[in-house]
Amino acid sequence: MQVQNPFPLSRDELLTVYRQMRTIREFEERLHIDFGRGDIPGFVHLYAGEEATAAGIMHHLNDGDRIASTHRGHGHCIAKGVDVVGMMKEIYGKKGGSCNGKGGSMHIADLSRGMMGANGILGAGGPLICGAALAAKYRNKGEVGICFFGDGASNQGTILESMNLAGVWNLPVIFVVENNGYAESTSRDYGTAVDSYVDRAAGFGLPGVTVDGTDFFAVHEAAGAVIKRAREGGGPSLLECKMVRYFGHFEGDAQTYRAPGELDDIRANHNCLKILGDQLTAAGIISQSELTKIDEEVMVLIEHSVKEAKAAPFPTLADLTTDVYINY
Amino acid sequence: MSDIQTPPCVGIIANPVSARDIRRIIANASNLQTSERVSILLRVLTTLAASGVERVLMMPDKGGISAMLLRSLKRERSQNHQFPELEFVDMSVTSTVNDTFFAARSMQQAGVNAIIVLGGDGTHRAVVRELMLGTQAGKKAVPIAGLSTGTNNAFPEMREPTITALAVGLYATQRLKGTQALAQNKVLEVSIDQGQRRDIAIVDAIISRDRFIGARAIWKTDNLEAAYLTFADPQVIGLSAIGGLLEPVGRTETGGLTISISDDPGRCKFRLKAPIAPGMIADIGIAGFERMPAGQPFSVALEAGVIALDGEREMPFDTHEQVSITLHENAFQTIDVTRCMQVAAREGLYIHQPSRLS
Repeated sequence: MQVQNPFPLSRDELLTVYRQMRTIREFEERLHIDFGRGDIPGFVHLYAGEEATAAGIMHHLNDGDRIASTHRGHGHCIAKGVDVVGMMKEIYGKKGGSCNGKGGSMHIADLSRGMMGANGILGAGGPLICGAALAAKYRNKGEVGICFFGDGASNQGTILESMNLAGVWNLPVIFVVENNGYAESTSRDYGTAVDSYVDRAAGFGLPGVTVDGTDFFAVHEAAGAVIKRAREGGGPSLLECKMVRYFGHFEGDAQTYRAPGELDDIRANHNCLKILGDQLTAAGIISQSELTKIDEEVMVLIEHSVKEAKAAPFPTLADLTTDVYINY
Repeated sequence: MSDIQTPPCVGIIANPVSARDIRRIIANASNLQTSERVSILLRVLTTLAASGVERVLMMPDKGGISAMLLRSLKRERSQNHQFPELEFVDMSVTSTVNDTFFAARSMQQAGVNAIIVLGGDGTHRAVVRELMLGTQAGKKAVPIAGLSTGTNNAFPEMREPTITALAVGLYATQRLKGTQALAQNKVLEVSIDQGQRRDIAIVDAIISRDRFIGARAIWKTDNLEAAYLTFADPQVIGLSAIGGLLEPVGRTETGGLTISISDDPGRCKFRLKAPIAPGMIADIGIAGFERMPAGQPFSVALEAGVIALDGEREMPFDTHEQVSITLHENAFQTIDVTRCMQVAAREGLYIHQPSRLS
């Protein structure tokens, strides 16, 4: 008897989503090791643990939809379709990287995919996405903009101003709060006066919804509703995804602010990749061996990307003055 | 004999995440802000203090309610406003429904006289589920008083919290007896494979052909298969409104209602428009409905799907699993606010002599 697919995505789509989330996880786990070895210049902030949110939202987007990412942007890039080898080269600071090796982790961008860039400035994505969404509104093709920011950046004036602007101009924007509980090392309880981000949105007349950001299907369903609303002219809204961060704020963060056992609990009980894998195999539509095969293929891809990155040359002095100005 | 604890102590469970689900997007449902929830709590606390309740045991949270309440109390106390002694349940906060379970269990163990619940149907269900388990294990039954801060709110009535707190105060301080103050309520017991998995609903258990939990709140009507209702009020919203507009059943009336739902032209007998979420009037195909006598298990015909309990998808079930639903009466107690205040007025409980100023 053929098993009925109980999920709102086709079997092929589910395999693609799993592959995407596994790619993000392995990409970040590998950077954790390589950064610790001193192989990587600059700084990295890892997205591991938060994959379900990027995948659940980006599944609804096309290349014409724009996203403004954060300092923790690798997961957004991969889920938006940015080339993994190009990303690895970029993080290694090499030619052939997404930005030719001149930006590094916090400036990966690929406008052909609608990825407007990771961003080292907290809360900077708000005004940027309002601009992109204003353009989308004029183009009138149903494109939307997604602004990712963390619970810490939610307290930046830029985010609040952007919510106001998006409300006034009825822009097709979704403000996505990736709430992992810590603004760097400051817990949300300590640093945020009104802890509900849905309340913040309500202050600007935007509807908001909170979901479990570790459950791909919860994020996917809620994101589908807010994105559809924006595409149809319903205007801006806010989506809060409650999630967990596997690593420190930055690599090298000793994480002394966490409770004893907190990280063990996160990895044991809030592993979004395992949650998705278990949902798929329990429903009987995808086997564990199919998932394992994807895991292996992803490992090969990541290994390949690191080899390519290490082998690629650094930018030259002449590269310093290219891509700085653009003539329109 | 009095069951009442001396000095009077009342529990408060305020869910910080009620009214935050997807229905705000798809149906413009209301969003009660944290600051308003704290205002409600301050009104409840001052009213309990004025009623003679000396101690309140409250669930802590990381959603902003406790933190904002403590800041507000500091301000209020500096102005010499009177509040009961406020103590938080000693627990580690998980920001999941487990917090509600743990807090309800602790409060029952501590012997509170009543628990005031701020939330929607889902929050009330979680509190009742835990209290019923405690009662079955031999602990004293604790009545609840609901304050509506959720989305659908078929169970908690819409009322100014000051009045609810007055009624709770009357019962907690023994000015009203249980026979005067309390009402009995029905529950639906959902059992999968002869009790391998069990849960309850206090308003509605909905069977959907969806098979995943997703964003939890049930809002799409395309896949609805059946509804089982403890009561069906034509003046409430939510999926129980389908029953309310078909065959009203009172909260204290005996029995419940079961409805078969289908868009299949071969099964659908007629269609019904019902407010299944705030601002969302859905057109539902009705295949049949019947009264649901207490104590009689009803087998779910659908082979595989998900059961939504009081508005939220909770229990997926598969082709090899048998689901049955049974209505139970006199399952738990609530503070009957209307009756409390009527008795208080009739017996002059708030009349007193003028203070003699020296």
